[in-house]
Amino acid sequence: MTDTKTRIDETVKTNDVVLFMKGTKDMPQCGFSSKVAGVLNYIGIEYTDINVLADEDIRSGIKDYSDWPTIPQLYVKGEFVGGCDIIVEMTLSGELDGMFETNGITFDKDASNKIREANG
Amino acid sequence: MSVKDEMENRLQAAFEPTELEVVDDSDSHRGHAGHDGKGESHFNVRIRAAGFAGQNRVQRHRMVHKALGDIVPRIHALALDIDV
Repeated sequence: MTDTKTRIDETVKTNDVVLFMKGTKDMPQCGFSSKVAGVLNYIGIEYTDINVLADEDIRSGIKDYSDWPTIPQLYVKGEFVGGCDIIVEMTLSGELDGMFETNGITFDKDASNKIREANG
Repeated sequence: MSVKDEMENRLQAAFEPTELEVVDDSDSHRGHAGHDGKGESHFNVRIRAAGFAGQNRVQRHRMVHKALGDIVPRIHALALDIDV
C-alpha cells in the first residue's frame, strides 16, 4: 500500500467514526460537508474530522480508497457509509440511528428524533 | 453540448430510466466556493430505473458515478436522488 493509503486505512480503522470533509467540524468550508458535520454535531456523535483541504494527498487518496469521487465521506468502524445525500437520507429514515446502535456508538436519540420531526 | 445534456445522454444510455431529471443548480451557488463564474458546476440528478433494484445506496451512487465517468471530476457538486 502507498503511504497515503496506509494512513487512511489506519485512520478509519483506529477511530470509530471518521468524517473526511472540507474544513473542520467547527468550521466547515463547503455546504455538503457542513450538512453532514451538522447532523453528527447535533446528535452528539464523537468523531474524528479530517480536513482534506489541509492535505492534498488525503484529498486525492480518499477518493481512490473509497472508490467515491466526492467529499464529504463518512466512515464508521472502518466501513464506508456514504456521502452527503446518503447520510441525509439515512438520517431521515432512521437508518443512521440503527447503524450507530448496531456499532455501539452512543448518540443523542432525542436530537435525532427532533431532526426527523422538523423534516417530516 | 452542455454538461447537463451530456449527463442526460450518458444516464439515459446506461440505465434507460423511467424518470430522469438533471438540474443545473449552479446559479444558486453563484459567488461561493466551487462556482467558477461560468456555471455548470452544481448539478442535481433525480433518476428512477429498474436497474437499481437490489443495490444498496452506496452501490447505486457508484453506478451513477461510473455512468457519468469523466464528468464527475469536472464538476464541483453532484446531488443524487436514486431509486427504482
